[in-house]
Amino acid sequence: MELFTGLSFSVLCIQILVGLSKATILFIVASGLTLILGVLRIPNLAHGSLYMIGAFTTYSIATAFSQSSLGFWIALLLAPLIVALIGLIMEQGLFRFLYNRDHLMMLLFTFSFTLVFGDLVKLLWGSDYRSLAVPEIFQGSYSLLGMPFPRYNLFLLLLGPVFAAGLWFLTNRTILGKISRAAAVDREMVGAVGINVNRIYAAVFVLGCYLAGVGGALVAPTQNISQGMDHSIIIEIFLIVIIGGLGNVWGALLGAVIFGLTDAIGILVAPQFGIIFPYLAVITVLIFRPKGLLKSIW
Amino acid sequence: MISGVFGKKSLPLVVLFLVGLIFLPYAAPRFYIYLASVILVTGLLATSLNLVLGYGGLYQFHHAVFYGIGAYTTALMLTKTSLPTWVAFASAPVAAAFFGLLIGLICARLSSLHFGMLQISLGSLIWAIVYRWYDFTGGDDGIHGIPVPEAMSATTSSYYFILAITTLCLLLMFIIIKSPFGRILQALRDNPERCEAIGVNITRHRIIAMVIAALFAGAAGSLFVILEGSVFPELLSWTLSLEILIMCLLGGWFTFFGPMLGACLIISMRTFAGNYTEYWTLILGLMMMLTIFFLPKGVFGFINQLFSSKAPDLPLEESSHVAD
Amino acid sequence: MKSTFKFFCLAAFVSCCLLAASSAFAAKTIKVGIVDTYSGPASTYTNDVRDAFALAVNKINAAGGIFGQQVEFVTRDSKFKVDLGLSAAKELVMREEVDILMGTINSALALALSDFAKQEKIPFLATFAKSAKITGEKGHRYVFSMNENTAMIGKAAAAGLAKLPYTTYWIAGDDYEYGHAVADGVWENLKKLKPEVRLLGQSWWKVGEPDFTPYITAMLAEEPDAVIIATGGRDCVPFLKAAQTTGFNKLVPFYMHTATEISTLKPLGLTAPEGVIGTANYHSYYPDTEENKAFVAEFEKAYDRTPAVGALYGYITAQFISKAYAKAGEVNTEKFIDALEGLSVDSPVGTVTMRAEDHQVMLPMFMGMTTKVEGKQFLVASEIITIPAEESMPSLDEIRKARQL
Repeated sequence: MELFTGLSFSVLCIQILVGLSKATILFIVASGLTLILGVLRIPNLAHGSLYMIGAFTTYSIATAFSQSSLGFWIALLLAPLIVALIGLIMEQGLFRFLYNRDHLMMLLFTFSFTLVFGDLVKLLWGSDYRSLAVPEIFQGSYSLLGMPFPRYNLFLLLLGPVFAAGLWFLTNRTILGKISRAAAVDREMVGAVGINVNRIYAAVFVLGCYLAGVGGALVAPTQNISQGMDHSIIIEIFLIVIIGGLGNVWGALLGAVIFGLTDAIGILVAPQFGIIFPYLAVITVLIFRPKGLLKSIW
Repeated sequence: MISGVFGKKSLPLVVLFLVGLIFLPYAAPRFYIYLASVILVTGLLATSLNLVLGYGGLYQFHHAVFYGIGAYTTALMLTKTSLPTWVAFASAPVAAAFFGLLIGLICARLSSLHFGMLQISLGSLIWAIVYRWYDFTGGDDGIHGIPVPEAMSATTSSYYFILAITTLCLLLMFIIIKSPFGRILQALRDNPERCEAIGVNITRHRIIAMVIAALFAGAAGSLFVILEGSVFPELLSWTLSLEILIMCLLGGWFTFFGPMLGACLIISMRTFAGNYTEYWTLILGLMMMLTIFFLPKGVFGFINQLFSSKAPDLPLEESSHVAD
Repeated sequence: MKSTFKFFCLAAFVSCCLLAASSAFAAKTIKVGIVDTYSGPASTYTNDVRDAFALAVNKINAAGGIFGQQVEFVTRDSKFKVDLGLSAAKELVMREEVDILMGTINSALALALSDFAKQEKIPFLATFAKSAKITGEKGHRYVFSMNENTAMIGKAAAAGLAKLPYTTYWIAGDDYEYGHAVADGVWENLKKLKPEVRLLGQSWWKVGEPDFTPYITAMLAEEPDAVIIATGGRDCVPFLKAAQTTGFNKLVPFYMHTATEISTLKPLGLTAPEGVIGTANYHSYYPDTEENKAFVAEFEKAYDRTPAVGALYGYITAQFISKAYAKAGEVNTEKFIDALEGLSVDSPVGTVTMRAEDHQVMLPMFMGMTTKVEGKQFLVASEIITIPAEESMPSLDEIRKARQL
């Protein structure tokens, strides 16, 4: 087959691109986690559940609009908002009253949410596997350097920088971002100057949940939407957040890229042991920089 | 409060309860003897976690790793070597303690959440190795039909063995908590800065506490092998770690017997709720939310608070922000 | 002091509650205890086993039961956890006093239950766990397997693949026991049937892998003639999806067990890749016999969905239980086992037999290729060839050798 000429270099390139597109989803989900962790100091285990709910609602909305070619895009718009709404209810209804609690309590509290959400998803959507078609314009692959590169992965690849820039803008250029960064460092001080810290907290929590929902919505067309999605992502994104530095959005980006790239290149170098490469990277980082690569705001 | 447990007045009570447990096999059907064994093993695990969590104030998020290492050590010794049985059981706590030391050395210099998260990642790595290493650990299938000596594996005899070891371990842990070392540990939890100022080596004490907790978790792991005759990678999974954290929480982690009570509550509810519904995790989740929301000191802690004027040990949450 | 007292009061109270809850009594019924995963991704398969079993049991009971005794069954959710499943099984045996244990898609749990059944001398009918160890290396008198296992998949697939003109292969799969066992099974047997085959390499991904594109591009780079994909359960769907997107199925032919199953193809709808070679134990549309049509119609009427392969396992398990007891003539475990050995029952895929020597059910395997069919909302298998159980089962010598190890 002539298709595979100029093998190693082009394969490496494709592999890097695929790894980066994989990192995009991880980054979007992990940035939500790290925001909540940084500002509110909640180690939110339910983040994976929100990601799963995002994928399921995307599926439901997209199938409801299946006659229109815009089904997926409507879902991509609405599903994260629904997840954000769930986040708002969680924050205003429960978390708001628990901010002075110990981290361990918060961890267990969020864990109880994963239990409840897991069973609620089972109640609402049942146990069938679900799959969503990739939106029409991104179906199929481009031939890049002689290798197939899925159009949808290209879309993800382009989306990553958009979200990174958006988050940078939000945290560095808006009042909300500035206050929340200040609140992350010293909550009392921010409260003392007359800013409603509770509202900032709610906004950050909702934003974090929104990002989990976006991650779930984006992953829906490539994955089998089923129970258990929450468990398979939560440890990964926690590791990403840790190697990046707790609470640091850029750290989440760096961590996600490291994770995605070591994964993709590991597959190429030693396919039989592909899965341990990201973990090795994490351990290496943590042995030399136990608090993460970038500055942790903890 | 705790000082009363093995004090003069309550000694008769403890003895009475023990006697009750000793005579349980004569009164209860076989399943309840088995259930009591499960509760004792899990309760021992939860109590060992509480040693570092409740008394040491350390975020031991992945305690189940040591339990799994203990169980696997015993299982591998029994299936792959011809060493005497007692060696297989004695080596479990030693192996777990060794890993406790290893993880302790890496983690102990960190504080609060970093500590817990690093522990989760290291624990997950150990889990992944156990899950993948087919030739040695049996991979995800685990090891089944472990040749536990006949005299130990029958329901009643395994119950007595487990009861004896659990009682011994609880007694040892109690002595440790009451020892000067235990007091320093609690002081470290409540005010690390002051301890450091008066010359206490925080890191060293924390590592020792982790080693001791891992030791007892390893012992619980080897008891699991006697009880079930099987080992599998889930014994090292992070969800199991969280489950035993829940047990400590529900029972109350400022009390010595709280985790045991939590294990008793959760295991018996899980067993009987499972007869009626597939939505046990939903129930458990809601129950935990309510507990955390309304009874942050756990069931036992709450009852304590309700009846006694004397406050229990300093709650974790009041001290944690100092440690940040 | 006070608190200690309270603790013991509470403990005493809890234990009283426990005792009060034990109201199990032995009635005049045949009781089957099912332990299986009813939460999480695997439940899409296990629900079919349970529902088809329930349907068959209801029919048996309506016809007067087994020599007048009604069949009753209780289920316990193991949540894919071995410790929970083991506890539940012990509860079923010790407290509910079930006559038969059945279930589980989780191989580790099935092996643990098998060991427990051996100690307790209770028949354990494994449904859906695919480890060949259950009736192979770890087989014994009290365990039976009601479905194909990895050894059978391997042999059947190799028989089919050997007829195809490919010589260089790549193997990829789920990095857990099932994946490795299927891959080894196919490869060992393929080498025997066609010595010139060459393995270019392997790649393994973790269970629940979100994106298969990097694996696919890595495989394409090696230019194998064909690829063996040893993935199961929920990973089949995203793998086929990635194969469709990258055009993998058009560039390199690949084989995947369960690729042609409805559980895999239905979620994908018409976006599933065509031309994928797959094997399966059951199709609701094949074999096109009256028995199968009646079975499908009955299942659809009761549950409003098309039966998948699990339904076949559930159905034959119920048939084996009722036939074996009827043959034994009384509710007696030892006689039940003797009766079950070598027993044949009718099923939607024809008559199936329980091999007496290793307690492995002899199910035919259907190898086909995914194809779009006019008027269907999802792809189906076409050009189906039936590989009879005699060809796919491990030989008795192999079983004997495995058990001696």
